[in-house]
Amino acid sequence: MAKAMLGGIEIEIDEDGFIQEPDKWNKEVAEDLAKTENVSGMTEEHWKVVNYLRDYYLKFGIAPPVRMLCKQTGNDLKKIYQLFPSGPAKGACKVAGLPKPTGCV
Amino acid sequence: MKAKRKKIRLQDISLPTDEPLITIRADDLMPLPPPLAREEKKDPYPSLSEEQKKRYESSLDGVSALSLPKPRNKEEEEKLVERFLRGLEKLLSPNDNWLFWQPLIQSLESCVRCQTCSDACPVYLSSGNQEIYRPTYRSEILRRIINKYIKKRGKILSKLTGDDIELNWPTVARLAELAYRCSLCRRCAQRCPLGSDNGLIGRELRKLFSQEMGIAPKELHESGTVQQLRVGASTGISPEAFQGMVEFMEDEIEEKWGRRIKIPVDKEGSDILLIHNSGEFMSWIENPVAFAIVFEAAGLSWTLSSEIYGYEATNYGTWYDDVQLARISLKQVEVARKLKVKKMVMAECGHAHKGLIVIADRILLDEMNFPRESFLPLLEELVCGGKLELDPQKNNFPVTLHDPCNFVRLMGIVEPQRRILRKICPQFREMEPHGVENYCCGGGSGFAIMSSMNFKEWRENISSRMKLKQILEAFNDVLDPGIKKYVCAPCSNCKGAIRDILASNGLWERHSIYYGGLVELVANAMVAMKKPFIDWEWH
Repeated sequence: MAKAMLGGIEIEIDEDGFIQEPDKWNKEVAEDLAKTENVSGMTEEHWKVVNYLRDYYLKFGIAPPVRMLCKQTGNDLKKIYQLFPSGPAKGACKVAGLPKPTGCV
Repeated sequence: MKAKRKKIRLQDISLPTDEPLITIRADDLMPLPPPLAREEKKDPYPSLSEEQKKRYESSLDGVSALSLPKPRNKEEEEKLVERFLRGLEKLLSPNDNWLFWQPLIQSLESCVRCQTCSDACPVYLSSGNQEIYRPTYRSEILRRIINKYIKKRGKILSKLTGDDIELNWPTVARLAELAYRCSLCRRCAQRCPLGSDNGLIGRELRKLFSQEMGIAPKELHESGTVQQLRVGASTGISPEAFQGMVEFMEDEIEEKWGRRIKIPVDKEGSDILLIHNSGEFMSWIENPVAFAIVFEAAGLSWTLSSEIYGYEATNYGTWYDDVQLARISLKQVEVARKLKVKKMVMAECGHAHKGLIVIADRILLDEMNFPRESFLPLLEELVCGGKLELDPQKNNFPVTLHDPCNFVRLMGIVEPQRRILRKICPQFREMEPHGVENYCCGGGSGFAIMSSMNFKEWRENISSRMKLKQILEAFNDVLDPGIKKYVCAPCSNCKGAIRDILASNGLWERHSIYYGGLVELVANAMVAMKKPFIDWEWH
């Protein structure tokens, strides 16, 4: 497994750059992950999405349904793509330190 | 001018080199119709990085579906080859391979090398007739390995006949990847005059690699069946998470339908236990929402299950591993038995139809052989039997239908979905060919969710290419972006694959080609809906 320096610490990542050690995630790690996903600076709007994903993940161990993410953060999907150009799964989830989504999604 | 291609022989599978047997170039590919006909052609998939090439086997075609690490030394290679051979013996033994031995032997023995199957194979045709993707290429190699290494006096005989294949590590490594260049659509089997099923041979190879050598795509095994058996679903949805999703669905229903309902969950003694592919909840929750609306409006006695294993129709074992297939089928049926429902109904998921309704018949014995049905005849009854008030004008946009291979070719369910569409979609048009002659979406057998290294690009530009061509042809008279169009793909995997080809070719943005399931169109046509059910919001 490859390692990357994120937020000043060494973290294991998978082939697609998703962090494999969710406990090591913090604000600085997220900011560095955002750079790998072409996010130009984390604004309050970004954090709202990331924090929602993070809370949901800590509760249920997965990402929420895409539509739930939109509704609960008050964004339509277009807006999510504006904030995270590679989309809710590959972009936003990665920045929030979630593992890569699995199953038929 | 096309560069002259190097001729690939069966024996090349054993070449002791890291160089791929083929590299597919833009010029090789089957041309696409407008609006993609004039686009600058690009190579179908990028090369692996030097680092990846060093670590993983990619000597088949420069693609890695398996992230198969290279053995560290000769000794390790020899051990792996030995395990392959022992696994092959098991495949050929009726005691070890009781689930598929009969069709496997029949397929191995009946081929007369007429090559009718090649012209039926979308991967072979889309790639520009690459020899290694010919349905018979992997089968014939396997046949020759069996003749030489397993049959009595095989080594002498294969020398005499000239059908000699050397079984070394490169052969095994290339065969492992090659087992994942066929989407198991079984179009070849349908065309074969002798009923030889090259798709099945590919699937049995996958099984050998998984069960005997621990080699399988991570997406299907580790984060697929293993996760499903641990948590309850291949998406990782736990019973607790599922409860929350059901509540969210009720909000969605209220918003669209204007009615607050309680979705039946774990309702003992219902007529129907409806099981969705759990990927629907994550990516396309409007699909289970539409099912709930339609079933409630029709007054059915139905329920979902929130029990572990009860809210997931997938069984990736169908694609690569009999042990996982059996374990999961048994868990799923146990849920239905405990709920005392009359039958299980599979929602819009092709491989769940194959796994749980068809193949599991050989696994579920006696009281475990619980009634299991497809949603399609039931939905037809609701739509065409006057159980719902429908206004086809609400669906007055061009709609074409993608046939999931497992509904049509495997199970022969061809007409119900068409009678539904003819009734509720005034601009329904077929793609050609369709029905039992359909082409795979390119995402079959797990391809839609496999994304190791450059595999996703391989899928989008090669295995899905025929489907892309068919979709564009079906809409060639309405490409104007002012006209919204709908590809109806009633299967989660197919939806994922079609989403990806529409997105990577900009067909939603530039030509308003959208996609979704079948039951969404039914909900959209319901007179009682407060808001249009279909949002036309890309996702």
